Amino acid sequence: MLTFAKSQVKWVALVCVLTMLVPMLAACGTPAAPAPATQVAAAQAPSGTQAPAATQAPAAAAKKVLRMSRQTEPFSPFIPWQIDDNPALFISVNIYDSLLRMTPDAQGVQAGLATKWEAAADGLSWTFTLRDNIKYSDGSPLKPEDVQASIMAVAKSPKSSWAANYAAVKDVQIVDPKTIKIILSQPFAALPSVMAMFCAAILPADLVKASEAKDFDVTTAWKTRGTGAYYSESWKKGDPIILKRNPNYWNGTPAVDEVDIDYVPDDNTRILKLQGGETDVIDFVPLSQIASLSGQGNIKAQPFTIAQMYFIMLNNTVKPLDDLKVRQALNYATDKEAIAKTVFFGQAKVANAPIPPGMYQDKSLIGYPFDLAKAKQLMAASSVPNGFKLEMQVRSGNADYTNIATIIKDEWSKIGVDVNLVNLETSVVRTNYRSGNYQSEPSGWSNDMNDPTQIVNYEMNGGPNMQFAYWTRYDNKDLDAAIAKADVELDPAKRQAMYYDIQKKFQDDAPLVWTVYAPATAAWQNYVTGFVIDGLSYYRFETVKINK
Amino acid sequence: MGRVQYIGRRLLMMVLVLFGVTIIIFSMVRLIPGDPAFLILGDRATNEAAAQLREQLGLNKPLLTQYWEFIRGIATGQLGTSLLYRQPVINLVARRVPVSLFLAFYAMSLAAILTLTFGVLAAVNRGRWVDHVVRIAFLFFITTPAFWLGILLILLLSLRLHLFPVSGYGQTLTDHFRSLFLPALTLALQLSAVLIRNLRGQIITVQYSDYVRTARSKGLSERMVLWRHTLRNALIPVVTIFGLQFGYLVGGTVVVETVFAVPGLGQLLIQSITGRDYPVVQAITVIAAFFVILVNLIVDLSYSFLDPRVSYE
Repeated sequence: MLTFAKSQVKWVALVCVLTMLVPMLAACGTPAAPAPATQVAAAQAPSGTQAPAATQAPAAAAKKVLRMSRQTEPFSPFIPWQIDDNPALFISVNIYDSLLRMTPDAQGVQAGLATKWEAAADGLSWTFTLRDNIKYSDGSPLKPEDVQASIMAVAKSPKSSWAANYAAVKDVQIVDPKTIKIILSQPFAALPSVMAMFCAAILPADLVKASEAKDFDVTTAWKTRGTGAYYSESWKKGDPIILKRNPNYWNGTPAVDEVDIDYVPDDNTRILKLQGGETDVIDFVPLSQIASLSGQGNIKAQPFTIAQMYFIMLNNTVKPLDDLKVRQALNYATDKEAIAKTVFFGQAKVANAPIPPGMYQDKSLIGYPFDLAKAKQLMAASSVPNGFKLEMQVRSGNADYTNIATIIKDEWSKIGVDVNLVNLETSVVRTNYRSGNYQSEPSGWSNDMNDPTQIVNYEMNGGPNMQFAYWTRYDNKDLDAAIAKADVELDPAKRQAMYYDIQKKFQDDAPLVWTVYAPATAAWQNYVTGFVIDGLSYYRFETVKINK
Repeated sequence: MGRVQYIGRRLLMMVLVLFGVTIIIFSMVRLIPGDPAFLILGDRATNEAAAQLREQLGLNKPLLTQYWEFIRGIATGQLGTSLLYRQPVINLVARRVPVSLFLAFYAMSLAAILTLTFGVLAAVNRGRWVDHVVRIAFLFFITTPAFWLGILLILLLSLRLHLFPVSGYGQTLTDHFRSLFLPALTLALQLSAVLIRNLRGQIITVQYSDYVRTARSKGLSERMVLWRHTLRNALIPVVTIFGLQFGYLVGGTVVVETVFAVPGLGQLLIQSITGRDYPVVQAITVIAAFFVILVNLIVDLSYSFLDPRVSYE
């Protein structure tokens, strides 16, 4: 028998200590505690970058650096109209500016790079007056040619992912060095809103031209020249994104000199980083954690109201979903309060209107309050009084959709609808609803602009060019005509009345089952103030202060 | 057959295996439903925009043309352009390969240390409390999901004791060692569970062999008997499992990479599969297959050093 009794414990202890000690000794001299936000963040800069002289503060301790940990990295080419993903979008609004900006309450637009804007009497053109003395981050002046090139790119470039929103833009003319005229093919009431979108940002004309080249190296797009509060010198996937304060910013001097953004996909790890003091701000905080994080003395966590809603898509061409009474019954049988409480921990609001909170949402609509008796009544009078089987495709890995579907399955069983939940990968679900190969599925939407034209056309307008009314295949020609009229009506009061009427009619037809409006979430250290997520889910670091 | 000829033959087989891998992975990713153009552009894409993107990305080319371009890319090291990131695949992958290899070798090193330490400890204390504690502890590690084990280590060693960062990879070599210790330890604790049980069993079996009895009867110390006679023979099957686990590590670190935000191949692979980024999925699979084959070749070669009786045929 092998015996090593006396030396074994010592030997094991030695090995364990050495195993832990080697990596710690390797970093001898490097503090284990995270660097406070006011220290120079040179260690996090990607290799090969050189800080321009203007941003090297005379005393390293004076530099304010905000550290943010986000859920996902960008992946689109970093040219505003080529951006397809939210992570890139949220950064672009800090680097580039558009002619207009959305107001903080998301109800209208305000001045951006343009200080005045007005429509011609016939509605076929809009004139914008540019702000004086705007410079890019490299000090070069903004020129009217830049505005012309950028707007034509978002509207006409084959690489633009957002051209459909600018279909009415025919041409952009330079009237004089301070005046731009946008010529439209038809009146377009939403033009100010689309000019406030991130994708209509203004870039130097030479960069616009270069980005159109077939062999454009997309990595160079991260060496930015924008008029926004910050700029980037470079970025490679996997590295943190470093945003440096634009010394030529037209809208004052942001309090934060630098923003370092790293990517931590796991929700729990992001929260642990915040709790450990290794980061200052995190996004996409699970709603289940908001209360417990807020209860910690040094952290603030909160939801923000954004233009986002959740609903159940129904394929209106599949029996018996083509029966209005069935669709209305499903709406009445859905306990939205239960979903708001259980899935969203009380932080979501019951959806009363078919579009998210924002411009021209009809707040007076009551929607379909939970009413099981009425639901049963409607089912009894429908084409399937004894109920029916319904397949619901759920995107695997999406906890919110899965939980909503689970609750719906139970609720709809009470009116005789036997829901079969089928978990599929997101890309398969998308392929299926595009091809009409589905019956129902939980889905959601968040606005890209504050004007309702986008959501109304996407959700309610039938036909293949309009995504078949959010893939429900709902097709109401009268409603389509009403939507087309609202799009060109320039009088705000008349337009509001039109959209209220559209919302009521669409809701009465119940092609979808609306559930809740859900918030965005974020959490930050107590010493950070001014961090706000606006109605379109943008956040601008220029409003942030580090009080340390 | 000598060692050199054996290596030559295995390298030739490697080329054939990799060729087979390219055919399989090229076909498999294209059989998965889902249009990359719509996945890139999102739910709001129009059919026209998607058609345009497909044309831009070369997705409309005949499959044989796409396959030929893939194979030619491997041979020339070009590997194509990522559909999602619109960058050369080689740029995306080349930055991540060292990260994943670092993590894999770090984890394997820690696993080797843990295996030798606790495998021998459990074997020499067979039936006693030390043996039971080791076996129960490592049973816990292997049955615990990696993401939960990782979070526990973060809570203890990062948040409470401030010994290691919560996540990331760092910039310098010393940063890498510190930042990757927790993810490597998470992997090592799970890998070594199987290895420890195996080594313990092998040591117990081998110690009753004739040559070990002879060594003892010649008056050698127990330490000498263990290290010079018992362990070398006990390690042979353990080394085999060790090599196979490297294959698991190369592709199976996604969970750990996600929990610890390590910018490795695993995360990139999952993002690429989800986004139907065919060139990236193909490249990572071929690279992973290459390293798995290479490591298993090294493992096979190591047998002759452990046991001089092993020859190559």
